[in-house]
Amino acid sequence: MEEVDRILIHSLRTCGTEIPEEVQSVRQFTTEIIVEAVVRCLRVINPSVASNLSHVLPPGMSARFRIGTSLAQACQDLGYNGEVGYQTFLYSSEPDIRALLIFLAEKLPRHSQEDAHQPAGKSAVLQREIASKIKQQLSVPWIPPMCRTAAAERSQSMCLSHRFQGQLLSLAGDHSAKSIPPERREYWEKYLPLVNMQLPHSYTLVASLLERNVLDISAVQEWEAEWKSQGLASRLSAEEYRSRKRQRLQKRIQDQLRQCNQQLLENNTLSAATQDFVDMLKSFTVEGETDQNKGSRFTHAKKFTHQQDPQVLNEQMQRAAESLSRKDAQNADTEEQELTSLQQQIELIEQEIQGLTESVKVLHLTLSQVEEETSKMQQGCKEKEDVVRVKKRAVELLPDAENNLTKLQAMIDSSTQRLVNLAGQWESHRVRLVEEYRELRRVHQEKEDESSRWMKDVKDLYDKIRASADEAKRKEELYKQLVSEYESLPKEVSRAAYTQRILEIVSNIKKQKEDITKILSDTKELQKEINSLTGKVDRTFVVTDELVFKDAKKDETVRKAYKYLAALHENCAQLIQTIQDTGTILREIRDLEEQIETETAKKTLSNLQKILEDYKAIKQENTLLLGRVREA
Amino acid sequence: MEGLQLQGLGLLSKLPIDRCPQFLHNVIDGICGQAYPRFQDYGGVWNLKEWLQVLQDTEAFIRAVVGKDEPQEQLDNQLNELTAEYQGVILKCMKGRKPEIKDALLQKVCAMSSAYLQDFDWQLKLAMSSDKLSTLQLPLVNLDLDIVKNGTMTPISIEMNKEELQSLINSLEAANKVVSQLK
Repeated sequence: MEEVDRILIHSLRTCGTEIPEEVQSVRQFTTEIIVEAVVRCLRVINPSVASNLSHVLPPGMSARFRIGTSLAQACQDLGYNGEVGYQTFLYSSEPDIRALLIFLAEKLPRHSQEDAHQPAGKSAVLQREIASKIKQQLSVPWIPPMCRTAAAERSQSMCLSHRFQGQLLSLAGDHSAKSIPPERREYWEKYLPLVNMQLPHSYTLVASLLERNVLDISAVQEWEAEWKSQGLASRLSAEEYRSRKRQRLQKRIQDQLRQCNQQLLENNTLSAATQDFVDMLKSFTVEGETDQNKGSRFTHAKKFTHQQDPQVLNEQMQRAAESLSRKDAQNADTEEQELTSLQQQIELIEQEIQGLTESVKVLHLTLSQVEEETSKMQQGCKEKEDVVRVKKRAVELLPDAENNLTKLQAMIDSSTQRLVNLAGQWESHRVRLVEEYRELRRVHQEKEDESSRWMKDVKDLYDKIRASADEAKRKEELYKQLVSEYESLPKEVSRAAYTQRILEIVSNIKKQKEDITKILSDTKELQKEINSLTGKVDRTFVVTDELVFKDAKKDETVRKAYKYLAALHENCAQLIQTIQDTGTILREIRDLEEQIETETAKKTLSNLQKILEDYKAIKQENTLLLGRVREA
Repeated sequence: MEGLQLQGLGLLSKLPIDRCPQFLHNVIDGICGQAYPRFQDYGGVWNLKEWLQVLQDTEAFIRAVVGKDEPQEQLDNQLNELTAEYQGVILKCMKGRKPEIKDALLQKVCAMSSAYLQDFDWQLKLAMSSDKLSTLQLPLVNLDLDIVKNGTMTPISIEMNKEELQSLINSLEAANKVVSQLK
């Protein structure tokens, strides 16, 4: 019974009943606990039915009586078919209460208990947390701003409705790094304001810090991703790769801008899209200048795309300065005039420049054509000179033709000889060189292979590092989740122990059943023996009776013996009867004893006393009420 | 222009030398997107006109120096109205803050298109119910985009459910792919 009670008490506690620690069994339940437990269970099972029932026992006797009746009614509505009434609750007997509570505990919704035990997923935990938080916040009343405590301030102040807007922060870097100039270090030490002083509003501090952090992290991540995918494949060191990329991008941007500028020069009219671009180009120059020389937007454009020599810049600066000083001195009218005249002048000059550039282009073209022609002519001249030289030589040699021919032949022979010689030499050189070349190529190939192998290893290593980092993170999270789950689990209850106990109980029951069957079979055997013995006694008696009866007519002593026999038989029968009667009486006694026990368990006496007291209390209440009625 | 600028920078010599670095650092803070120095702190040194002048010219000078990477003699040329002491202080400040100013100017250059995204914010909301359903439990994302167009900021606020958010993310990812191919 103890096990059952413990399970029962645990399930009652889970549905909200406050049972003191020292109460270990149903026997120790007071009326208050019983009423509270039943009401709580009813509330969980069927909230609508039990909503109007209070779990606190009222002091008045009649109210107690009413609550007992309504509880009994609710239990019967749920389908409890045992005997239940107000007396079950007010004048409790242990077995009745236990039966009722077991019935209610079985009726409790299963899933709510299973929920608490199931390993909850991350999202479920989150949702539960959100729900509890909202519930908690809803339960707190609104508090005026000046009365808020810290917790209320967090949940009710307006700071949550501020936008999450970060601002740039200026943070000190690593002081110990060698590459930082001393001026910067001095700034950090002396003038850099604290982070929370850098912001106009204090509520943007968290956002700014978070944003800064994310910025740094994402920069590192992006670089790593790029380095792993492209940087490693290019086989450059990190700095080289960076500078290479910067060059590439710069070139690309320059190309784009130059192209755009060209288009601008060609069209000379500003469409909406190019206007945008020109505006942008203008904004690159120092702000102060832009409003003064609006007319020379092309100079701005040029300034951006081509490197400008400092002289031109100086001139511009001077011009701007002049116009500025004049602006101060003269009135607006003359300035306007001057401006228009200057603009006209500028336009004229621009047109002139354009015409001149056109003519320069044409002249360049003709120049290149002429140069080409002269080079062609020079080529032809050289060829002709060669022909003339050969012919001249031939004419000189013509008189002594035979001699010269043989000489020539000899010369040719010697030169062929030399050629062959040279070819042989070249061949030997070449063979060596080719061998060397092959050797070098082979070595290069090997190195290439090796480096690509290294590359692959490095990539593998990177992958492995990331995989293990991920794994570690995942395991960490899992560990955290499991720890939180473990902490949320109720400590004192363990399913395994319960099942083990249930199994033990089942095995006990099995053993008992075996015992019972053994005893039953013993009893049967005994019965059989008894039957056979009785039969034997009967038969023996009948036989003896016949024998003795036959002789009894003749002999007096035998007749006496017959009488004795009959008496003996009768006595024996009486004896057996008596033994049987004793057995039944003993059984009856046992039954009665059991009944007495159950009756005493029902606490009849104390209950009776209680009933009497309550009866008196009701009487008193009634008289009180009557008195009040009379007074009124 | 140059004469005026020199005049403007020359005004700096009215400021005591020990307050000079703080002032310069504040101006640089302003360039980097934080608070500019306030007139009320320096009201005793300059009048309002001079204040505006000195502020504008100092800023222009700093922008010009860092943005164009001018050579040393050019700097000296522009600073020759000041004493060597002031020059030293100015150069020291500039050297100390150069990376930040450069970053700020680059940021400005990067935001060169007619409309660009300055900032964004998002909130996750859980709609508990609607006018038709008593329990809805629908997660909604509220995305705020601060778009700067022609120098004025226009906030754009979008509320999306899960599918809409997914489609937005997909299209943004496609755009990112195109941009990364340009590199």
